[in-house]
Amino acid sequence: MPPLSRFDALQSIATEYPTEPIVVALGTMVREMLLVGRRDNHLYVLDSMGLPAAIGLGIALAPAARRFDKVIAIEGDGGLLMGFSTLATIGLLKPEKLLLVVLDNGAYAATGMQRTAAPAVDLCGAAEACGIRAHNVDAPEDLEAVLRGSHRRPGPALLRVAINEQNRSAPYFLPDPVELTLTFQRYLAGPTTSPLAAPASGLGAGLRGKSTPHGPAGTPPAAP
Amino acid sequence: MPPITTALGVDTPAEVAARCQALIEAIEHLAPSHILWLPSSTLKSVIDHVERRAGEGVYVSVPLTREEEGIGIAGGLVLAGAKPLLIVQDNGLGNALTALTTFAQPYHLPLLLIVSQRGGLNEYNSMIHTLCERVDDILGAADLRHFKLDERVPVQRWATSVVAAWEHAHMTHRPVVVLCNLLY
Repeated sequence: MPPLSRFDALQSIATEYPTEPIVVALGTMVREMLLVGRRDNHLYVLDSMGLPAAIGLGIALAPAARRFDKVIAIEGDGGLLMGFSTLATIGLLKPEKLLLVVLDNGAYAATGMQRTAAPAVDLCGAAEACGIRAHNVDAPEDLEAVLRGSHRRPGPALLRVAINEQNRSAPYFLPDPVELTLTFQRYLAGPTTSPLAAPASGLGAGLRGKSTPHGPAGTPPAAP
Repeated sequence: MPPITTALGVDTPAEVAARCQALIEAIEHLAPSHILWLPSSTLKSVIDHVERRAGEGVYVSVPLTREEEGIGIAGGLVLAGAKPLLIVQDNGLGNALTALTTFAQPYHLPLLLIVSQRGGLNEYNSMIHTLCERVDDILGAADLRHFKLDERVPVQRWATSVVAAWEHAHMTHRPVVVLCNLLY
């Protein structure tokens, strides 16, 4: 049985990346990450299984990602397999900031630990076949070392972390998702000069775009 | 009176091309940061344009593997302050329903989807109508706001309608679909 639990792995990631955007997959992953601590830099994906890697990819492609060492997306093995084809898109676009962490226990934890197909799949091999640098991590000390070394290493990268079947008891998390959006958007937007400034994608962003067309390389906000 | 024919549809290739050109004009006006797309035979000239302009550095062009992946990537881009636009076919909207209703809608993410509509008169693919002719009902049942552009809308109104739909998505903080039936 792998020595790492999900909680251990989440705690290591949150500790190593206390200010970087982290997309957290649904269910047990979100609830145990909240035991580690609720943070403005965490996007809690309450459903949408299979989507966190794509969401992380989107964030990593945006100019706002330049402010950060990494954009992290944390998936389970079942979630990764559900959105498996996103590995191909990541490999095509090669976002340097993206770090995809897959916590692999071979089971769907939130629904009662039913087995996934992951034991039959070399997840790192699949990622590498898509052009993504990949690492297998089994020991707690290895996870901390790999995370520590990942800050400045250009991505995209995938860490497949073997975790055991231990699940911590955690309450349901039932916020209004709009609250999660606004908190995370404001965090990504960084410090603003005006308290009235809204996130660029908020009300009027499209209207502003009418008279101020701009291309893909917008000016990133100032570093925090 | 011209002879009745259904082989090529009622509209001429020039009319279809004019509708594609209107969509291109709308895209150029909106100036998205990223355009995420799946292939469409009816929107081929639009996607060819997107690829060419992306090659010039005007925006980033992203070929998708699945529709729901597009909702995830576009949602991440919106959260990070970028301006994505999606182009897909309606026969793939079923793939995107869960992502739209569990992510884009509840998280209030303004997204615009330009969706080519298939399965109507003069459709050549006999397998495509089952889903496509129910897309309006499916979108309505999912409470996904959508607008239709077809032969009843003068081509002069297509570009302004797409731009208005983009503004509507941002004003109402939700995904908006523009169903574009280019063939008739």
